[in-house]
Amino acid sequence: MSAGPDSGDSARRILIATGIALAAALVTLVAFVLPAEYGIDPLGSGRVTGLLALAELEKDALAVDQRPYAPDQVAFRLEPFESVEYKYRLETDQALVYAWRASGDVVAELHAEPDGAPEGFAESFRRSRGASDQGSYRAPFAGWHGWFWENRGVDAVTVELEAAGFFSAARTYGGGRVSERVLVPGVEKAAGDSAVDG
Amino acid sequence: MCASAVRRCGLVVALGLLVAAGSAFGHTIAGDDATFVQGIVGPAVGPFIYLGAKHMVTGYDHLLFLVGVVFFLYRLKDVVLYVSLFTLGHSLTLVGGVLGGLAVDAHLIDAVIGLSVVYKAFENIGGFRLVFGIEPDTRIAVVVFGLFHGLGLATRLQAMALSPDGLLENLLSFNLGVEIGQVLALLFVVALLFRWRLSAGFSRQAFAANSVLMFAGFLLTGYQLTGFLLPYLRVTVA
Repeated sequence: MSAGPDSGDSARRILIATGIALAAALVTLVAFVLPAEYGIDPLGSGRVTGLLALAELEKDALAVDQRPYAPDQVAFRLEPFESVEYKYRLETDQALVYAWRASGDVVAELHAEPDGAPEGFAESFRRSRGASDQGSYRAPFAGWHGWFWENRGVDAVTVELEAAGFFSAARTYGGGRVSERVLVPGVEKAAGDSAVDG
Repeated sequence: MCASAVRRCGLVVALGLLVAAGSAFGHTIAGDDATFVQGIVGPAVGPFIYLGAKHMVTGYDHLLFLVGVVFFLYRLKDVVLYVSLFTLGHSLTLVGGVLGGLAVDAHLIDAVIGLSVVYKAFENIGGFRLVFGIEPDTRIAVVVFGLFHGLGLATRLQAMALSPDGLLENLLSFNLGVEIGQVLALLFVVALLFRWRLSAGFSRQAFAANSVLMFAGFLLTGYQLTGFLLPYLRVTVA
């Protein structure tokens, strides 16, 4: 707090300092903060400095997909000690939402075969034993992604799988052979569901 | 809670402060902490004290304002007085805001907090006195800005959908944590300022330092105002 004798001079100095602070803040805001935080880059400085990439990162929360939406529903029966695999074709970063239920405990493994991998190679993501599982999955690589189920009980079990994503192809592996499978959209719900309550 | 749990909390707070001293997480209660808070049902004194302290020590906007407030306070008595006034302000709106369901857009609150930094720095260089010929009561300003800081905290806590079970205990714990964090941050700031004041070029450097504070305050304000306006900007941009 400099209470100088020449207060007019001090006032000018204070206003100049305030003006500089404001101008410098505006320049920093527009040139660096806005590109990095919000992806707004009016001066092109975010692109030049690479700061724009910081804002792009956050957009990863959303992945718009132009491929057709593909809901799929399938049910199958597993005799004691029978196993089967159901898989979908997913590109890198493509997502899949799934839920499956079984009439009894089964052994399940969520896994994927990367493109170009040697025969029989698969990366495993989840092994479980139970009568249901659900979740969402994002493909870390392009390839075939899905489940292996095995019935280790003494009674036959029915498994129902529902999955949705933007995949275009599905495969079944069982009885020693691989077969292409046509996607089956879920059964349409009754019209009454669309009524708005309240 | 037994004594060992309390001791452990104290240790955690101290460790957190050490970590926080070297980094700036920004203002929000983010990531894992937010997930944890949402999962809490019933009183959780230790975690909320910790989160309050962490919030204060890692919240650069709070810290900048505190630096501005204590910049020219030479006597410990004055530091205690001003910090108590700030505490009074933010405790009222933090606890009252959450209990009363009072919430304001977080960006707008943070823009005001940015302006509070500018205000205090401008006052520190004698702006109000020499440019406008007025001397606003700093004590009132500190209480008012304390109210805004508390409202910002209340808004954030409410966004996390706190469980009503044990809410008052948790709020008071959080508020206590804010005080602890504030005192610890101030120990650093006051100690550094004390040394700095003894050096020869202090009065010239003080002017520059407060100009830098104004810069930071303006920058925070612009950053938060843009965040507030973003939904409207996006419509026209996209």
